Formats: sequence, structure tokens, C-alpha cells
Amino acid sequence: MNEKIVALEIDGVKIEAHEGATILEAASSAGIDIPNLCFLKGMSPYGACGVCVVEAEGSPKLLRACATPVREGMVINTKSERALKARKLAFELMMGDHDADCLGPCVLECPAHTQCQKYVKEIAEGRFADATATVMDTYPLPASIGRVCPHPCETACRRGKVESPISIAFLKAFAADTARKMGVFAPAGVIAESSCAGKKISIIGGGPAGLTAAYQLRRRGSEVTVYDQMPKMGGMLRYGIPEYRLPKAVLDEEISLISSMGVKLVNNFKIGKDAALSALRKECDALIVANGAWKSSSMGIPGEEAEGVFGGIDYLREQKRLAGRVAIVGGGNTAMDACRTAVRLGAEEVYVVYRRTRAEMPAEEIEIKEAEEEGVKFCFLRNPTEVIVEDGRVTGLSLQVMKLGQPDEKGRLRPVPVEGQVEKLPLEYVIMAIGQKNDSEGFESLKTTSRGTIATDSSMRASVAEDDGNSAPVFACGDAVNRGASIAIKAIAGANDAVDAVEAYFSGKDIPERIGTVSARESTRIDFSQYEKMPRQTPAVRDAEERKHDFSPVASIFTEEQAILEAKRCLECGCHDYSECKLIRYAKMLKTDCTRFRGEFHPGENERHLVAIERNQRKCIACNLCVRVCEEKAKKGLLGLVGRGFTTVIKPEFNNSEAIAGCAECNMCTLACPTGALRLLK
Amino acid sequence: MLKIVVGMGSCGIAAGAQRVKEALDSLSDDVGITGCVGACYLEPIVDLYDGKELKKRLVRVTPEDAPKIVSASSTGDFKSVEELVISDEDASFLTSQTRIALRNCGVIDPESLESYRSVGGYKALEKVFTLSPEDVISEVKTSSLAGRGGAGFPTWFKWNAARAAKGEKKYLICNADEGDPGAFMDRAVIESDPHSLIEGMLIAAYAIGASEAFVYVRAEYPLAIVRLQKAIRDAEAAGLLGENILGSGFSCSLRIKAGAGAFVCGEETSLIESLEGNRGMPRLKPPFPAERGYKNSPSNINNVETFANVAWIILNGGKAFAALGTENSKGTKVFALTGKIRRGGLVEIPMGLTLREVIFGIGGGVRGSAKFKAVQLGGPSGGCIPESLLDTRIDYRELAATGAIMGSGGMVVMDDTTCMVNMAKFFLEFTAKESCGKCVHCRIGTKRLHETLTRITEGKGKEGDVEMLEELCRGIKDGALCGLGQTAPNPVLTTIRYFRDEYEAHIKEKKCPAGECVSLRKFAILPDKCKRCSACARKCPAGAISGSAKEPYVIDEVKCIGCGVCEKTCRFGAVVRK
Amino acid sequence: MNNSESSVVSLLQETQEKFGYIPKEEIYRIAEEKGVSPAKVMGVATFYSQFRLSKPGKNLILLCKGTACHVNSASSIAAALKEELGIGDGETSEDGLFTIEFVACLGCCSLSPVMMINGVAYGSLTPEKAKEIVRNIRNEAAKGV
Repeated sequence: MNEKIVALEIDGVKIEAHEGATILEAASSAGIDIPNLCFLKGMSPYGACGVCVVEAEGSPKLLRACATPVREGMVINTKSERALKARKLAFELMMGDHDADCLGPCVLECPAHTQCQKYVKEIAEGRFADATATVMDTYPLPASIGRVCPHPCETACRRGKVESPISIAFLKAFAADTARKMGVFAPAGVIAESSCAGKKISIIGGGPAGLTAAYQLRRRGSEVTVYDQMPKMGGMLRYGIPEYRLPKAVLDEEISLISSMGVKLVNNFKIGKDAALSALRKECDALIVANGAWKSSSMGIPGEEAEGVFGGIDYLREQKRLAGRVAIVGGGNTAMDACRTAVRLGAEEVYVVYRRTRAEMPAEEIEIKEAEEEGVKFCFLRNPTEVIVEDGRVTGLSLQVMKLGQPDEKGRLRPVPVEGQVEKLPLEYVIMAIGQKNDSEGFESLKTTSRGTIATDSSMRASVAEDDGNSAPVFACGDAVNRGASIAIKAIAGANDAVDAVEAYFSGKDIPERIGTVSARESTRIDFSQYEKMPRQTPAVRDAEERKHDFSPVASIFTEEQAILEAKRCLECGCHDYSECKLIRYAKMLKTDCTRFRGEFHPGENERHLVAIERNQRKCIACNLCVRVCEEKAKKGLLGLVGRGFTTVIKPEFNNSEAIAGCAECNMCTLACPTGALRLLK
Repeated sequence: MLKIVVGMGSCGIAAGAQRVKEALDSLSDDVGITGCVGACYLEPIVDLYDGKELKKRLVRVTPEDAPKIVSASSTGDFKSVEELVISDEDASFLTSQTRIALRNCGVIDPESLESYRSVGGYKALEKVFTLSPEDVISEVKTSSLAGRGGAGFPTWFKWNAARAAKGEKKYLICNADEGDPGAFMDRAVIESDPHSLIEGMLIAAYAIGASEAFVYVRAEYPLAIVRLQKAIRDAEAAGLLGENILGSGFSCSLRIKAGAGAFVCGEETSLIESLEGNRGMPRLKPPFPAERGYKNSPSNINNVETFANVAWIILNGGKAFAALGTENSKGTKVFALTGKIRRGGLVEIPMGLTLREVIFGIGGGVRGSAKFKAVQLGGPSGGCIPESLLDTRIDYRELAATGAIMGSGGMVVMDDTTCMVNMAKFFLEFTAKESCGKCVHCRIGTKRLHETLTRITEGKGKEGDVEMLEELCRGIKDGALCGLGQTAPNPVLTTIRYFRDEYEAHIKEKKCPAGECVSLRKFAILPDKCKRCSACARKCPAGAISGSAKEPYVIDEVKCIGCGVCEKTCRFGAVVRK
Repeated sequence: MNNSESSVVSLLQETQEKFGYIPKEEIYRIAEEKGVSPAKVMGVATFYSQFRLSKPGKNLILLCKGTACHVNSASSIAAALKEELGIGDGETSEDGLFTIEFVACLGCCSLSPVMMINGVAYGSLTPEKAKEIVRNIRNEAAKGV
């Protein structure tokens, strides 16, 4: 390199660089990152991607930093509005032409963005402990959640378009059970250098949200105490989900792991009774409220205060034996848990009353099916108008006959009454499973939403009335906040967000985006007929006549053979290179809108048949690095650009596997590729 | 006895000059040829010369006219060919021009070195050998000659840079890859006056110290290649090319390299890649070709028209050239005046004339009954200039201010049946197809521009599309690697600038005001004019027309695809546009 | 011309001149001759619109899509040829008689719309005229058999 030194300024920083160095090199030596994709150290600059453009004072054109040598007195702005616009456009254009997934639909649709594809692959490879550890990076309850989660991941799973989705939830339960049996069930690693280290944090509520927050903060070195009003930890997982779906022993083991990490668990502790919220705030550095939604919603009809009417979650918690005829009102999973519990506790007749039809039921299909098998009778298109009461006791329900009308804002068909048609259903018990509310007792100082839930802002903070400013900040998550009760994995997602918020609170930095910008394929563009059909594995299910008399698990977990077969069905939608990909890293940084310039995609397929390197042309940005590296560094020249303009693709000549038999598997091209277009197959 | 000379440029041949020549040859032994005189709309053209004096110019000649012509040439009695003689009005198309680059086109025999020498050919080269290279450059500097390929960069500056660059071997390259679809002056010069190109190149080679020169010619110009090859052979044989030219001690070879079809090779560095046998993808600048060009040696590239001016400048002096034109733009410029124009062809005029003077004066205005709408300058890199700006002078700066560019000289006239959105789409289809695919902004950006424009012309435009196009255009201009990408948005930006209402009519009203966009056309049959002949119904490719001998025919709008076949078919004027 | 001096483009041009297209084996031959990879030769061959990798029809129709031709409705000529021959840009008719290629500009703008068949330019076309020209060529070919 030239010995002469030139002085210049980049982004206001005075820099000295060797004459002959490029702006990119000079900036990089000063710690200024100028995005670049088609550049690779040691290769001559190429200038294709156009993301390294910078503005130089006195230059009418933007300069490509990768190729422009520094000059004495240059004043460079790498983030001028004009440079940023041109740079961002490059990313918008590339992402708009990127017919590929960063993350699989399973990960995107999981509220907690659990790395489903990763652990499914690990299971496919027989690495069950690794798979468990992967889940444990997101939350500490894999065996429990694997059993009870309504798995939005599976709903989104593209394999469902081939024949049926991957059994992701059960695979997770299998992996976690196996890890426990192997004695390798352990918390995910410590997260070093956290601003939460050494902080004292109190968490109210020991359900999935509270336990997840405790676990994640403990990994960060916080001193965590969880307070819960019930005698045991687990929240709704313990008190709202029947044993036949989630054995308490499984839950206990997962909770004891959290406890073994040094999280202090305090039960039978009720805010407002055992201590005031304000008092707790004085004793810690941050407080997280995750007290859930423990009150059943009422139907708002005459007679519902009568003896023999229960709330769904109250019933599940108390597990009362109800001899006689029982009607459960509602169509969700709580209604299914309640009706099936009623069957097991010896009810004579069990009805489910729902105002729409089976197709609209929010409960999972398998739950409905199994309830039916167990003898539950479904009364569809019926809406209770009155609880018939005699001597203060329930004797029946008046049911208005409904029909389906126009769709509501969510697209579900709206039930409308059929004039004059009312039926009577004679009963001894009514269970209202139409929703849950949170109990604000003890939390009156927290600002609430119109729904009565705790209101939190985008940084998961709750606002405290008459805050003295000297107490710990209050964060809130789970069923208790904002939109209210939902599924456990959503509460877990909220807990992780709260932990990030606490971290940011202590560090003073911004809360990181959880997913941010990603590329996602449109399923409609994919030809699913190319995949060979492979049936979904199902774990053995006990016969209805047998299972309906006890609380032992309805379904067993997968055998190892089943689990591996099932996991191998994964289409591996998400990109192997997501964490390394320069394209998405910068696209995220610039908050690129990936669909703004959508149009026809450049041609090209995913080729797996060529030697040891898989080439996914859909991810190719034509930076030509692989071609250049193969020619200039590996001295092979096996790849070339074919065609011109938008349809340019990179191919071995004639796409002929024989022609590239000389590929030395040096792997230089895959390492040079700034995206996930190339991959060395093992 | 008058000499019969047939205009045999590509255009003339396409118009039937070859058959005319054959007919004349069968009757006479002394039929000469010349190149393209530039009045293409009058082809085939036959000139009758008395020695060097043009006696009569006959236009739109057919082979059947041959006996009359041969007889007129021998008798000197022009009565029988009177109706073929060029009209005064048409003659003015040529007489109102000032020809420097085209000075010999249509005058001399392009296949004869002698013919070129008879008009002072290679005299400039002889003169140059008495001057120092610096003096040559200085003379060119005095002339203010600027690159006629489009960019308008001072020619002397490039020569000087190449001369100053260190390198054992230097190359001179002529860019004859005339890529602008609508310009053909370079083809005409090579076909009609190849030696003036050779002479201009030799002068440049001498000035910069190049010993090897190339002419990079479009493959679509076979006749130009043949004539240039002959000219090179003749020049070599005459000691005008090769070792120790004219005993001066200066040596330079000249070879033809045929292009293989890529518009981007008009860009200097792409052209060099192509010359080296590679994909014609642009290189990063710097280094500029003057420092490191062909085979990494100092190289200079000019286009054909630029070189065609050089010998004239040397002989007549740079001052004489600079006396023509405006403050900023000196000399003359050749335009290919085409499109919906009455008198189309090659027009060489001094800089500074207004567009109106060229289009309505020399060109005679719009052909037919339609109204002038816009003129397209600079091809895919240029823009469309509306009627209101026709008084703009032909000057690099003034034209650039309109959003168009001087370009290589394509001047395509459009009338009110041309849709400006469709015009923008046409150019973007071209640039998207011709984009080399190297840089992201151009490769994907031009594609998206074309897709959006296509959508708009199909009536699928959305609110905000115009703003999105503008933003995308500006981003592409800023981010693209080479001139092709940096200028590709110009046709879109200028049509939006001057014809925004047309875009909006397509988007908001789903109407094409020019009636050109097929998807937006709607036709109806006037019942009182319909003769129930069923011709339209039989021709309709969509089966959208029904009726009977008793009932007037009607068009089903749902089935109608707007192709307009019915309109063309109906002899009674019953089919009208809605 | 000495081949060691000829560029890949020139060699491909010579090959196409000889065969009417670039046969696959020739790609390998040129690569070997020039000491470059076949991928590189392929890259050059697919970059330029002049090169064809499959055998064209007996008669090569170059239809000009230049600006002047566009303004004078070259698209109607393309449609007429499609109607008459059933082929579009880059396609060869089933009988192997015709290949159509759209080209950027033939430089005969004053005679637009223009097409060139086997090097002969036909100007001032109308859809009917274009059809007639190809019909005549086809009839000539039929007589020849």
C-alpha cells in the first residue's frame, strides 16, 4: 500500500488514510459501517449493489464507497438524505425481487417467535437435547406448552398445503420429555453483559408470563422473586388446564428447574392483602405485573346468579363433581376443557351451547372431536337468553335459536336471532365459558384500558397513579394487559417483551426490534405439488370410552421413531443464513419495506442436484461474488452470468452437473455470498 | 451525356433503390452509386450529373422509370421525367441545411477512394502531419467540438487526457454502435462517406499517439460494415493506413469490430469490455478509459459523427467551425428527423436553431391531419418535449433544461394519436431489456418502472403511482452505475413533467386521451350508419360483435378487447370510439 | 485473422456465421481455444442479443422495434406476423421456415415500420403488406420442394 497519507472527513470524523485506499476502507478503519454487499475484501470492487453510495461535498454524483479512492480534503457524508434514499431504494428493489423466506411461517406466526424450524430440524437429526435447548432460549416450559399450545405455528405451516402441517407442538413436548428422561433438561445459557445483572426484580403472578419473565431475567443475572396468590406456581397452566391435557407432574418439573436457577418463588401471596403494590415497589428495582385474568365473564342474562351457575375457569380450578345435566356456554378451548372435565367428573349429560356453528368455533378441532367422542352434545346456533331458576337453583336455560348472517369485521359470520324461536333446555348446572376478565383488586393504582385490563405503552410500562417517582417502575404483561386473556404462548411473548423493556430501562438503550424487516414468500406462488406427500405422524390416543372416566393423558407423546419421521417432513422454509445474511441485516437497519416494489421475480429455482453446493437463485442478488471468487480465487471459473438485465442468472454453463464436476468444494463461494443463496450441503 | 447516380444507402435500398439500379444497369453501362443524401422520404433517389454539377434530382423512382431516365440522360431532354423531378419544396429540405459531417453524403461514391479524394479527401491528414499533435489538439479545442454521441463532452479534452496518459501503447476507438432506436446518422456516414471517418480517426490517432484503432459497428448495419471494409482496404493500399502513413513516420492500423447487439455497449467502458470479448457490462470509473481502457492501456473513444467533423475542422480551421452555433454549443449537429413528420430524414443544421425551425421549417410539420404533440430527443436517455417548448434552441444546456438531452440526434415527432404514457412504457421496455443487469438500481428499477407503466396503460393504475414513479426515477438516476441506468428514467420523468394529465386520465378515469392504449379503448357502432354487412363481426377476434341482417350490429363491451379491428374494417364509418 | 487475437465475441460471431447459431460443442471449443471457462463463454453468448443458441428458421425476420417504428405502429406488424406465422419474438415457426427477432433499430427510421428478412429491408409496411411478403417467401419455398 501507498505510504502517503491523506486526511479527510467522514460523517464529521477526521480520518487519515493511505492514499489509494477506498472510502469504504477508510470508513471501516474508523469504525464507520457503510453497507455493502457486492464487495469482498481482497477482491477488486465491482459496484453492482449500489448500497455503499455516499455523498461527497463538491461531487454532483453519489460515489460508490467501495470503489472510490480517498482524496485529500474530501468531506464525506455516508448518511446524507440523498445517499440514504438511494441506498434504501437499492434494498427496497432487492427485497422486492427476493422470492424467499428469512424465517418460516411457523416462526413468524408464533407469538413468541420460537425457533420452531430450528428445533424441528434438530429433532429430525436426533438431537433432542439441542432441540429442547432451542425452545428454552425463548421460554422455560417446553413440555407444558408443547402439550397445550393451540400452535399458531402449525396453522401457518406450509406443509399443510402439501397434506398436513408438521406436528410442531407435540414434537416440542417429545423433545422436552426426552431431555428430562435423559437428565439433560437444563436452562438455556447465561446471558452475559446484561444491564439487568444484579438488579432486584419482583414479579407478580406465577403463570406462563411471570415464570418466563423470571427465567429470562435470572439468565441475565437478576435477583428475581415471583409472588403468586395460589398455593402453587403455574397459573392457568395448573389451574385452568385439566390434568388429562397437561399432567401436573410435567409442569412441576419445569417449575422446579426455574426454582433451581435461584428464582425465589413465593406462593399464597395476594397483593392488597399480604402486601400493597406500592410496598413491593419500594423493595425492588423493577416490578413486572403478570397476574393474569382470573375472573369469568358473565353472560349478562337474567338468572345467572342462581345456585348451580359457575364460571368456566372457576369450575376448572375447583374441579367440582357435578351430578346431573350440565351445559357449558361458549365455543372456545376453555369450554372444551370444562365439558370434558364435566364428563370425567361424572355428569349425566353434558351440553355445549354455542351461538354459531361448529365451523366458527374458536376451539381447536381436535378438542371438539375428542369431546364429541366422549359423549358431549353440541347445541349449535343457540344463544342463552335466560337461566331458568326455581327456588334459587338452576333448572334450565332458555335458548334463542340463531342463524348466521353477514360477516363481522373479523370475517366471522354474525349470528342473528330467528324471530320467535325459543327452546328450553332442562339442566341442573350451567358453566359460563365465554371469556375471562382480570381482577383489579390490589392493582387499583394502575391505569386501565376500556376493557378493564392494565394499560401498557409500547415499552410494556404501566402507568401508576400518583407515582412518587422514587419507586421501581411497573411493567406488565400477559393476560392482564391490553387486549386481555389469550393463549399461553402470547403471554410468554409478552413476558419476553417485558424483559427486553426492563433491559432497555436499565441500559437506557432502545428496545430491540424482535423480528423487524423480513422477506417472506407468498404461499400462493409456491408449487406444492413438487413435494412428495408424507403423512403426518399422530401420537397414540386412548379410546374415548376408556379415557372419559379418568384424568390420565388422552394422548401419549411421540415415539422417537415417530418424532424423527415427523420432523423430517419439514419443508425448511426459513433461510439457513438468516443470522449471517448481510442483505437482511442492512435491510432491517434501514427499515426496508420489502413489498413496496413487488413485481415479477427474477427467474431461477433452488438447485440441489449440483455437487455439494445448493444454489437458491431466488435469493441471489446477482452481486457476482461467487462467480468472481470461483474464477479469481479458486481459479476454477465454474460459474458464470447467463442472460442479461432482469433475467440474468448465475449458472454453471448449460446448468450441467457434469460440467461442474471439477468443483473442489472449497466453499469459497458460499462464504463469499452475502445472502443465503449458496449453501454447502453436508 | 449525363451521369446517372443512384442513392444506395440502406434506406434507399429498402425503398427499392437496388431494383431501380438493376433496371438502370440493364439499359446503361455507366450507372454510378452514391450514399444517402438524407431525404429518406423521397427514396429511391436518382441524380443526373453533368460532370460535377447536379443537373436533375429525381425522386420516388421505380424500376419502370428506368427507360425514361436513361433516355433523358442521353438526350438532356427532361420532359419525360418531369413528374419525377424533386419539387422546390422538397429541395429546400436539403438546401436549408448546413452540412459538415454529412458534407459528402449523397455526393460522392462511397465505394471509391478516388471519389473521396476528388472532394479534398485526405488533404486534412496531409496537413496534420505538418503539425505537432499538440497543435492538432489545440485546433480542435478552438473548434469547441463536443462529443456528438450524446454526452457533449469536449473532444479536445479527451484527446488531451489520452495524449497525457502514460502508456506504451494507446488505442483509438470509434463508437459506431448507434444504439438510440431512432437515430441513424452514424450508419449514413459510414455507408455514404467511410473515408471521412477513417481520416478523422487517423487525425485523432496522430493527436493522441495511438497506433491501433478500432471501429465498433453495430451488427445490424451490414452495408456499413461492407463499405467500411472496402474503404479500409483501399486506404491501406494507398498508404493512408498502416505503417509509415504518407511517409510521415506515423503508423496506425484500423480494424472493424462488429458489435453483437447490446445497447449498453454505447457506454464507453461497456464498449471496451465488449471489444475485449467480454459481456458488455460497465466498469467502475475511475479509472477512466483515457488512463486505463482497452487492454488496460490509455484509450480514447469518440463517436462517428464527431470524427466526421474532424477533417473539415483541420482544413477549414477551428474558428470556422466555432463560428457556427451558440455560446455553449458550437458547430452543427445531425438529427434523424422521423416519426409523424412530413419530410423525414437526416438534417444537419447549425446549433442554435429552434426545434420549431427544424420540425416545422425543414421537416414541414406533422404528416397528415393530426396535431403536433411532442418531439422525442435523445432516445431512451432523452425526453419528450411538448409544443409549448418548441422555441427551445438546439443547444446542449437549453435542451438539458427541458429534461431531455441533445443525445445522438434522434428526433422523433409525435402527434396527438401517440399516448405519452405508452411512449414512456415503450422506452422503459427498451431499457429494461437492454439493461446489462449489473447494478441493482437499473436491473430491478427499470423493470419495475416498466411494470408500473404497463399497469397504467392497461387501466390498472393506482392513486399514488405517479408519485411512486417519480421517486423511483430519481432514485435510479442517483444509484445506477452507468449512463444507461442514470438516464433511463428520463422518458418517464419528462412525460410526467409535461403530460401529467395523460397519466392521470389513465389512472383516475381509465381513459387514454390519445386512444392508443388498447385496453382502454371502447368502440361503439352507430346504428344509423351500420349497413349490417357483418364485416366487423366476422373480423372481431374476440367475438364481441353481434347483429343480423335485420338488426344493426352491436359491440359487447365486456367481450371487447379494444383492438380496433372493427374500426379499421368498417367501410361506412359506423364504428366509432367512445 | 489469427484466432489467438480474436476475442470471444469475434469467435462466437464466426461460429454463428458458419452454423447460423452457436452449437453447444462450439462453446466448449471456444473456451478451450481461448483458455477460459465454458461458463464465461456462455456468459458472453447469452449477453448479446445477436447470438442464438438454437437453430433458427430458414428465413430470419428482424422486426424493427425502434422509436420511429413504434410511433408508426410496429406493434401492428408484429401482430400481423403472429397471425400469419403464429410466432413472436425469438420463436421459430413449426415448419422451420421463419424465425422472428425483434431488434432495437434497423436505422431505416424514415421508412418505418421496417423489417429485414435475410438482410433485405422492407419499409413502409402495413399489416397486409407484411403478411404478403412472408406469404410470398413461403410460396417460393413450397415451389422449391
